[in-house]
Amino acid sequence: MARIGNKKKQRFVKPIKVKKQSEVDHVTGEKIPKSFVFSRGKLPGPLKQLQMDLRKLMLPYTALNLKEKKRNNLKDYLNVAGPMGVTHFLMLSKTETAPYLRVARTPQGPTLTFKIQEYSLAVEIAQSQLRPRCPKDLFKNPPLIVLSGFGTGDQHLKLATIMFQNIFPAIDINTVKLSTCQRIVLLNYNKDTKLIDFRHYSIRLQPVGVTRRLRKFVQNHQVPDLRSLQDVSDFVTKAGYGSESEADDEAATVTLASDLGRVNQASTKSAVKLQEIGPRLTLQLIKVEEGLCSGGIIFNEYGGEKKQDNKSDKKKAQEVASSEDEDEDMNEDESEGQEVDDED
Amino acid sequence: MTDVGNAVELVRGAKRRKKMGSRNNKRPRMMGGSGNKVKIDKKMKKLFQKRAREYNSDDDDDDGEKAPRVKKESKILVRSHEEEVGDEEFSEGEEERKDVNADVELSEDDENGEIQPGITKFTEGCRAFRAAFMSILKKNISDETLGPILSANKKLVAEKLAEEEAERKVKGEARKAKQLVGEKGHVKPATYLDSHEKFLIGVATKGVVKLFNAVNKAQHAQKGLNPSRTKDAKAINKRRKEAFFSELGKPTLSATNSNAKLNTSGGAADTEGPAWAPLRDNYMLTNSKLKDWDKMPDNMMTAAEDNGRVLEDSSSDEDD
Repeated sequence: MARIGNKKKQRFVKPIKVKKQSEVDHVTGEKIPKSFVFSRGKLPGPLKQLQMDLRKLMLPYTALNLKEKKRNNLKDYLNVAGPMGVTHFLMLSKTETAPYLRVARTPQGPTLTFKIQEYSLAVEIAQSQLRPRCPKDLFKNPPLIVLSGFGTGDQHLKLATIMFQNIFPAIDINTVKLSTCQRIVLLNYNKDTKLIDFRHYSIRLQPVGVTRRLRKFVQNHQVPDLRSLQDVSDFVTKAGYGSESEADDEAATVTLASDLGRVNQASTKSAVKLQEIGPRLTLQLIKVEEGLCSGGIIFNEYGGEKKQDNKSDKKKAQEVASSEDEDEDMNEDESEGQEVDDED
Repeated sequence: MTDVGNAVELVRGAKRRKKMGSRNNKRPRMMGGSGNKVKIDKKMKKLFQKRAREYNSDDDDDDGEKAPRVKKESKILVRSHEEEVGDEEFSEGEEERKDVNADVELSEDDENGEIQPGITKFTEGCRAFRAAFMSILKKNISDETLGPILSANKKLVAEKLAEEEAERKVKGEARKAKQLVGEKGHVKPATYLDSHEKFLIGVATKGVVKLFNAVNKAQHAQKGLNPSRTKDAKAINKRRKEAFFSELGKPTLSATNSNAKLNTSGGAADTEGPAWAPLRDNYMLTNSKLKDWDKMPDNMMTAAEDNGRVLEDSSSDEDD
């Protein structure tokens, strides 16, 4: 009896180690940005899909399976965000007029509000393609981000630039492995229409000057079909179809520093090919707020440029009422955000 | 009349008997292969016959109640007048039928012979039914959406149906409207690449190429040095150190410098302080980057203009 008791005492329970993701990038010393993508209010089916697509886009530093409840308010997310090291919120909401996307920095803001003019889901993009591409480790690394046309000198655009630059971890070009650069997010600002095109592509590298046949042979490890050939040398020398002209585009070729995969050798030229993954968004920046869905309005598309040091709640409420009467949901959230501020 | 009927019946009976006989002859043939296997005792045969009789007699009773019908041969002569009249007709009809269906009948069961007149009877019933049915079909029905309704409260039913229809319509419209609102902004992409998409892909490609070239340039120096080997790692470190000190020597990044190169992700913080992150004043402060975003110098914007894009990478300013 006693022995058994002893045994029980001696039993060693291995402490459960919580594997912590490194909060700080060891090379650049910068905090790795993490994000939450969630919805405010009830979303219809396609928008839910879009939310899922955005989560996938934000991988790996995002909560892919974030569970939301109806009664969750912004403060709940904010409370979780602190200990988890979440730095950005992407909030989807919907009104009668249009769906909206808000990108906010936590915990203090600022918040950019985009009106989603048009959107297509990743599934539809894949359906529209002849050969949709999705390698296994496509979402294992954060995407690169390319911002184009944002340098018009507007303050709000500058802010948007910084916001989007910091939404993904920075890259150190001395240590980065090119094999981790699999995806790219493009934001293209159109000056005339004031719309931002949001695209998501996968990056593929192909050696230049190698026939398709050889490339496939190296890639697939399969015995090639030589029935139609007279001699084995034909397999190497005979040109393939005319699709090689695309790869000859000089602007899209790079010289690699190291080997990448089986086909892309270092010191040979490779062509960069992009294929869209989706989702596809057309955004319009309509509002910039100082706080997290609250605070003074820095920029308003409809009301023109407002004074930046507009702090009084009364004035702000008036502004909101005058300029944003269509956007009920946002007003709701704003009041919510104010509540948070008050309680704090 | 009775005589004639009887005579007819007699003829019929004879015929029938004949037919029965022929059928009996056929019977073994019909049994065919199974005839050898099934051996019936006399006893059993008697039993079966008895049972059959009983069964038939039952039938007879039912028939008598239900409708006039031809009985067994043994009862033919004792039958009532009405029945005979009926039978006369049947027999005529039956004969016609028989000519046609002679072959079929041969292979049929014992019982068939007796039921057959019943079928003829049914045909007559059919006639009446047909007449009734035709009269219904001939009726002209006013063209209504509801079609013929037999119930008296036709109006009420019609109203109800119309109401339902309207309700459904309203509901459907509401659902449609809701769906339309939900789908707002949702666009199915085209299967081809239009010029705008091509342009966007071009822009993105340019960005990728720029980054890859920069990476190549930066990492080319380290080429041949394996960071896992201590000797090479030392060499790399030495180079980095040099680059770092040279970076320290510069007070700030000049605008022209940042123009020429890719922009840094750090934005304002990067351009004001030293390039290496821990040397900055606001190192690892949560919201450091966006605190004074509007006081950022203009060089970053000019860079964006020059490049047409701002590519993110961290320490492109170091040259090693």
